[in-house]
Amino acid sequence: MDATTAPHHIPPEMPQYGEERHVFELMQNMLEQLLIYQPKDPIPFMITHLQQDNDNVPKIVILGPPASGKTTIAMWLCKHLSSNLLTMDNLMAQKFSSLAAVAREHYQKMKKLSNTLLVRLIQERLREEDCIRRGWILDGIPATREQALMIQTIGITPRHVIALSAPDTVLIERNLGKRIDPQTGEIYHTTFDWPPESEIQNRLVVPGGISELETAQKLLEYHRNIIRILPAYPKILKVINADQPCVDVFYQALTYVQTNHRSNAPFTPRVLLFGPMGSGKSLQAALLAQKYGLVNVHCGQLLKEAVAGESKFGELIQPYFQKEMAVPDSIIMKVLSQRLSQQDCIQRGWVLHGFPKDLDQAHMLNSLGYQPNRVFFLNVPFDSVIERLTLRRLDPVTGERYHLMYKPPPTLEIQARLLQNPKDTEEQIKLKLDLFYRNFLELEEFYRQATTINADQDPYTVFEYIESGIINPLPKKVP
Amino acid sequence: VASRLSGRTSPAMGTYTYTSRPRALPCQRRRYRDSLTQPAEEPIHYGNIMYDRRVIRGNTYAVQTGPLPGQPDPIEIQRQQQAKRRALARKRAQEQLRPRTPEPVEGRKHVDVQTEIYLEEIADRIIEVDMECQTDAFLDRPPTPLFIPAKTGKDVATQILEGELFDFDLEVKPMLEVLVGKTIEQSLLEVMEEEELANLRATQYAYEELRNVELAEVQRLEEQERRHREEKERRKQQQWEVVYKHNETSQKVAARVFAQRYLADLLPSVFGSLRDGGYFFDPIERDIEIGFLPWLMNEVDKTMEYNMVGRTVLDMLIREVVEKRLAMYEHKEDQPPFVQSEDGFSGPRAMRESLMGDEFHEQSASQSQRVLQARDSLQRTPSNRRYMENVSSQERKLTEEEDDEQTERNISGRELL
Repeated sequence: MDATTAPHHIPPEMPQYGEERHVFELMQNMLEQLLIYQPKDPIPFMITHLQQDNDNVPKIVILGPPASGKTTIAMWLCKHLSSNLLTMDNLMAQKFSSLAAVAREHYQKMKKLSNTLLVRLIQERLREEDCIRRGWILDGIPATREQALMIQTIGITPRHVIALSAPDTVLIERNLGKRIDPQTGEIYHTTFDWPPESEIQNRLVVPGGISELETAQKLLEYHRNIIRILPAYPKILKVINADQPCVDVFYQALTYVQTNHRSNAPFTPRVLLFGPMGSGKSLQAALLAQKYGLVNVHCGQLLKEAVAGESKFGELIQPYFQKEMAVPDSIIMKVLSQRLSQQDCIQRGWVLHGFPKDLDQAHMLNSLGYQPNRVFFLNVPFDSVIERLTLRRLDPVTGERYHLMYKPPPTLEIQARLLQNPKDTEEQIKLKLDLFYRNFLELEEFYRQATTINADQDPYTVFEYIESGIINPLPKKVP
Repeated sequence: VASRLSGRTSPAMGTYTYTSRPRALPCQRRRYRDSLTQPAEEPIHYGNIMYDRRVIRGNTYAVQTGPLPGQPDPIEIQRQQQAKRRALARKRAQEQLRPRTPEPVEGRKHVDVQTEIYLEEIADRIIEVDMECQTDAFLDRPPTPLFIPAKTGKDVATQILEGELFDFDLEVKPMLEVLVGKTIEQSLLEVMEEEELANLRATQYAYEELRNVELAEVQRLEEQERRHREEKERRKQQQWEVVYKHNETSQKVAARVFAQRYLADLLPSVFGSLRDGGYFFDPIERDIEIGFLPWLMNEVDKTMEYNMVGRTVLDMLIREVVEKRLAMYEHKEDQPPFVQSEDGFSGPRAMRESLMGDEFHEQSASQSQRVLQARDSLQRTPSNRRYMENVSSQERKLTEEEDDEQTERNISGRELL
């Protein structure tokens, strides 16, 4: 096997597979667990870890001042993600744990729980089957820096930490309206979150410890502690303003929890840009290619190059060009696959735009094995498109392209001789847009993991959105 | 024989068969005496099977376990008993029915009387007469005479002499010709047949030889063909395996290279993430945070408390002194009130200096000594000079802050007064 006679390349299926199955993150998690537990028999340990398959379960810590609504948010997140909620109360209230019984006695005597006892309770609880399988949400733990450090030392690391924050006055006022349902344990509020059913309304009780003074004291305590806890979770922390309606806070929390953090997995971007004419796809593709070294693949350009290069594909395509008919799918696929299978595309990644125009083409692209791993839909309203396209002009003498609004020609003389491309008239544009929107819905359904971007802004903003979409891992959507 | 026959069949079918050889009915009357040479007669069987008790009538499927033929049948016995009983009963009935003479009257007795014409002598003597009879003596059976039927018909004879009927030699020729000719023809035919058979066999052999040769040829060709094909298959298989191995190896190599490159950054990122998660921490930093700083804060707390206690005591002392002085001055009525006692409260330090008179020098000195001792104890424990300086500078700052607090407290104390 000689490198010159039979050059070996890594088949492109391998990086695709690694990306799809998140192999890097899997190995990273496994190695972390190995390092933390250092088992005597590593192989059975690894086997059980892989069988547990719990890399993606929620591991969330929610911190916040009293009356910020963290228990409510925690319970809603629990229900939404079907995970387990752990608070100090329900850790102590466990029935089948001797440790919990000890903790209860201790609490009754001293009115607070020692740190070691709490951490041991948490450790024991997190080893149970349901926490391993469905994840956990810690509500209000750790309360002090010592607790945070102890939890970190035994190897329990959350993946997301949410800290709610609100001005103290708002919190004190809000706490006065707190009501608890004794049966379900859910927290309601007299103004913000009043239950609709009258039977629940009737059995709500006022909890203890909500007077202004007590709230102020608790807030003091909280501020003293939180300032030292937050630096312990530098990269996974998100502070959410709790001074908004509950639902908004919840949705912010949910979107944050569903994002994955950036990992160091090697990643070749294969980007697909969708959008109507004039949404700026070519511009964004050129910017991406320039910044990240991706190969800019414009379908129309490819075909024109084939025709110009007079290859055998070019000869096939030329009659269609002459008659101004659409080139059939099979030829396009062949040309495209030839380009995408070249070594530079595989190595550096590609940006494709102008290609699947309808569902069949999308299926064909998938079947060839060139699935994109980031898809962006650029949304532009109709008027913007018209504005962008109809005001394009070309200077025949210098060859410069001008736009009457965004890049006007400097002198009147140049402006006098500007010409417009006949394809840029409104009727043509309308026709092409109709064609695009006809296929848009199907394509949107096909590419479920696509990100929609508002392309009505200036190009660099749009570019930044696209960049963040490429660099951050795809959020996992809970069905 | 008959019984044997019956014995053979009856267990199988449950039926009873009976056969007997036809034989002459023996005469019941014996005329001649039994001869010793004659064989014994066969035992007498019942002749008629219709009246044979051993023949089962009716349904033969149910096995009848009747009594043995020698013994009397129980039904027979019953019947006989019944007959006896009936006879007895009949007799009794008849006796009862028969008219009898009536019984004699009392005192009388019946006597038999002859009422015939001629009387008869009833004597017990029975008249006996002897008579004899004799059969003829047995004779020997005479031999059976030969049976010669009478002669009927007439005897007649005739005689043919030689040469009278035909000439043998002439007559025999055609027959002989025919015979011989036929024989020779027959033999010729046989010989021809044999020759033909031999020819056939010869051609057969020749044909078989050819056929064998051809078969051998065919087999050889087949063998060759098979060997070629197998060789080709083997070569193809080998080549296919080589190609397969080639592909597999290249895939394995690619996979290994890919895995290495893909996970090249694994260890650094694992360590990085563990450090971010707080599992790996700087032990010195952690130790300082957990072990040293709380202790330090504790000690600072203690020192501050000591300071406060000292100042409070000092405060009390000052108050006592001032009260005493006030009292002293009030005693001396003509002396003006001590203005300084009220102004002096503004600066306790100035006050201290002014009040460090002879009487209270020792007390305040002891107080300041106590404070100094506390400071010394604090200074002795950290061996590091810089620490000491830091601590003492901190303390000085704290004491300065303390002084401000102290003035406030004094003012409040004064207000309370």
